[in-house]
Amino acid sequence: MGEAIRDDHGSAPFRVVIVGGGTAGWMSAAGIRRQLRTEDYAVTLIESDEIGTVGVGEATLPHIKLFNDMLGVDEAQFMRETRATFKLGIQFCNWNQPGDSYIHPFGAFGEPWGGVEFQHHFFRAVQAGRQSFSLQDYSYSVVAARSNAFEFPNEDRKSIRSTYSYAYHFDAGLYAAFLRSWAIERGVHRIEGQVCDVSRHPTTGDLTELTLKSGERIAGDLFIDCSGFRSLLLGKIMGVAWQDWTHWLPCDRALAVPCKRIGALTPYTRATARRAGWTWRIPLQHRTGNGYVFSSQFINDGEARDALLAVLDGAAQGEPRLLRFSPGRRDRAWQGNCVAIGLASGFLEPLESTAIYLIQAAVIDLLRLMPRPGSSADPRLAAEFNRLNDMQYERVRDFLVLHYTSNSRIGEPLWDYVRSMPLPDSLEHKLQLFRSRAALPNHQYGLFARDSWLSVLVGQGIVPTGYDRLADAFTLSTLEEKLIEFRNRIQTNVDAMSAHGAFIADYAQAAEAAASEEAVA
Amino acid sequence: MTAHQPLSRVVVLGRDADLWLCVNAVSRALNSAGVQLVAIELPTRLKPSHVSATLPPLEAFHAKLDIKESSLIRATGGSFSFGHNFVAISARTPNFFHAWGAYGAPIDGSAFFPCWLKATRHGLNIAFQNFCLTAVAAQNGRMLLPDDATSAFGRTDYGYHMQTMAYAGYLKSIAATLGVNMIEAQHVSVEREDNGSIAALIVDGSLRVEGQLFVDATGEDAVLIGQSLAVPCESWRQYFSVDRVLIARAPVFTSIPPFAEIRAAPNGWNALHPNQVATGVVHAYSSGISSDAAALESATAASGAKLADVSYHSVNPSIRSRVWEGNCVAVGGSACVLDPIHDVDLHALQLGLVHLLSLFPVTEQFTVERAEYNRIMRSYYERIRDFQCAFYALSSFDGEFWQQSRDRTVPQPLSHKIATFRARADIAPMEDETFSPDSWQALFTGLGVVPESWPPNIDRISPNRFNEEFRRALEFIKGKVLEQPTHDGYLDSLCRSSAG
Repeated sequence: MGEAIRDDHGSAPFRVVIVGGGTAGWMSAAGIRRQLRTEDYAVTLIESDEIGTVGVGEATLPHIKLFNDMLGVDEAQFMRETRATFKLGIQFCNWNQPGDSYIHPFGAFGEPWGGVEFQHHFFRAVQAGRQSFSLQDYSYSVVAARSNAFEFPNEDRKSIRSTYSYAYHFDAGLYAAFLRSWAIERGVHRIEGQVCDVSRHPTTGDLTELTLKSGERIAGDLFIDCSGFRSLLLGKIMGVAWQDWTHWLPCDRALAVPCKRIGALTPYTRATARRAGWTWRIPLQHRTGNGYVFSSQFINDGEARDALLAVLDGAAQGEPRLLRFSPGRRDRAWQGNCVAIGLASGFLEPLESTAIYLIQAAVIDLLRLMPRPGSSADPRLAAEFNRLNDMQYERVRDFLVLHYTSNSRIGEPLWDYVRSMPLPDSLEHKLQLFRSRAALPNHQYGLFARDSWLSVLVGQGIVPTGYDRLADAFTLSTLEEKLIEFRNRIQTNVDAMSAHGAFIADYAQAAEAAASEEAVA
Repeated sequence: MTAHQPLSRVVVLGRDADLWLCVNAVSRALNSAGVQLVAIELPTRLKPSHVSATLPPLEAFHAKLDIKESSLIRATGGSFSFGHNFVAISARTPNFFHAWGAYGAPIDGSAFFPCWLKATRHGLNIAFQNFCLTAVAAQNGRMLLPDDATSAFGRTDYGYHMQTMAYAGYLKSIAATLGVNMIEAQHVSVEREDNGSIAALIVDGSLRVEGQLFVDATGEDAVLIGQSLAVPCESWRQYFSVDRVLIARAPVFTSIPPFAEIRAAPNGWNALHPNQVATGVVHAYSSGISSDAAALESATAASGAKLADVSYHSVNPSIRSRVWEGNCVAVGGSACVLDPIHDVDLHALQLGLVHLLSLFPVTEQFTVERAEYNRIMRSYYERIRDFQCAFYALSSFDGEFWQQSRDRTVPQPLSHKIATFRARADIAPMEDETFSPDSWQALFTGLGVVPESWPPNIDRISPNRFNEEFRRALEFIKGKVLEQPTHDGYLDSLCRSSAG
């Protein structure tokens, strides 16, 4: 086999310094600690208890399970500790017009027949007047979500019960805390403190050392900026410019407040369009997270607060907290030896629960492209990281803008504006393709998949005028039979599922949530 | 549902495999949607020395057209090709095999390539290609018939080497069974609408053939999109030195290698495409450096055989500015002329057809489809071009031709890809790629590019695990290869059984 493979020793560990201990900071720390050797990489995380995190409840995408699995986290334990519930999708209410409702599921619509995507068969039947169900009825996860049901997906790829995946709702503050203890147990050095000064290399401009309020100085080779909106290192020190996307996504504030949990535990997030934005409802085990994302151009903070409090399921737990933000991203997330992850690199409103996904994607890319011990940050690695990061942000942005721009809420100033605003070319093109022939974007990388686009395009009231003519290969009566059979298959299988609340109680109920459950009863 | 007329009358003008593959594809897919197809066939340009070498995805495309592999192989004198063996004349660069299959299997969830790279840095002396089941089987003259164990190990795939005349004839004979209106033409003129789109084609000055959509499958002549609609070509000359190829026929091998062999010559390269009937020879060179006579001499030497049916052709790599203009869609050589390296022509045609079908107009109003087709085809063609450019830009072969090739411009996405690979052993993922990460790794590594680092997460894996997994992989490959039939034996049985 040739001579033995030796490991590289000799260079001192590469020092990674993370600034900020929210979800981004601890996901970065945990990812590095899980994937990279302690003798090669030393990880220090600086966080301050004085700087709060939002922590009212956060909705995720199914990718989070891959991250947790990578860490080797026990799902039930993680769910207990973060008060998590399962999430099969997002319900959008009133987005096209008041009274409307649709679910964007983490799952497929129908199945391809004759090598032709389902939506072409569906719209063919609609156009022929042979369709009595809505598109939503052809998604297993939509039907399950509407029934408040949950089961784990089946691993048999032929089963209809394999056609979906799931994510979680959890308390993001508790998730960060969960990852913090996971990472500290495995050698991440946590320092309580606030950065007050930053030293840079006189010629390269790279960051060299942080000084904390306590006077402690922390030197590093690579600095990960997880400082949130403040973008302490990448924005303030490295001076990487901000790209503002307010003209496409006008919402710039959010009010967040948890409330008492009432009623059945829904396995989906709800996003309800309002006069000046939208409200979220995120069911956790022990309470329900709520918030109003709004545009300060169209409503003031007080009116928004009243509107939010008026739509809660149960009693508010405290006064709503205000967050200010601007949508957009930094021109580059990685500059010199500074990489921003999370809100420090960009912000997109939580409409499609993409915040943690974007963190995760950045962490995974950084792990692949991390400078090696003994080397300095390589601009070639940064270029690849930035290319991937840009792609992720732009694809998510287009998908978010779609929810706004296609609406029939005529006469409401925010909604009138977004309906008529000029769109990014990349989105305009996708809309035209769907309108004319029910064609869906087909990317190999990044979010979102075809079925996601389909759910929102149709949900926002867009009706294609044509469909792929390859669908004509079936006779209409054969098509009708197939559609009915598929519908029946969904219903029969969903009927056999557990209630989501009962499933959680059985699988991953936190002790205190169980207690409050009794109190509710 | 719509005020526009459904699009139902399609005219394909072309010749040879471009024409008949297009006719088969459109007719099969859209006959049931009521699309009427007229095929206008121009005189052939094929010679008995032409061999079509294909990429793996053609097999699945054929399957959609109900083309049976056994009858195809029999009809075309075809053989299987598991990849390209690059043989250098320079002693500095070892041979390498670019196979249509996976190189190694992941180790503890990590990609194989960086594991191999790290081990090599620490003294492992086993070539990358020796971990590729497909490559080893091919170099031992074997077939590779996938089973559960090989699928668990990794992808194995193949292309074909077919006599092009026979292939075109075979496709034509199938088209004849599909109810397509087939017209032979010596010459075609074009009748235009006031808005510039094509109204009809006039065949041999008399027969008028109307259509709503016209497909230009006339190859580099680009009779419709170029000669008539005058859509310009953007030259890719800055990237490629090859401007001429010699095509010829060498005798059939007594034992038919299941791969193509590309031999670097001082002033170009020479490819052998063996099949059951003959061995196709392509010699690519630059007319500024080699005369045709010198190329013939070089091709004869590189082929190690006397060449017959020798012909010479110009090569002008370029992309049509818009491959769909008005109501005319260009597929194959009329849309994009690619360099001859890596045998991509039929695949480029296939991509054009696949996307034409997936964007086939619903009605006569098809501006959206046209925009999308132009966007996506350019993207696909450019990624193929990048893979081709990489071969020339990174070559270390001796000779003026190779020096010139190295000195040429490198497209930006490729320079990014090379930089990422050099820095981190990573293949930057891009949309619309024809070639897999395995192919890129095989090419880069084969050309002697050694990354400066690997992803640090593989350092968690102990050296003993590497050794264990390498040994296991090599033993698996050895065992599997011995189980396989020989290529010759497999061809014999395939042709015998399907003849019966």
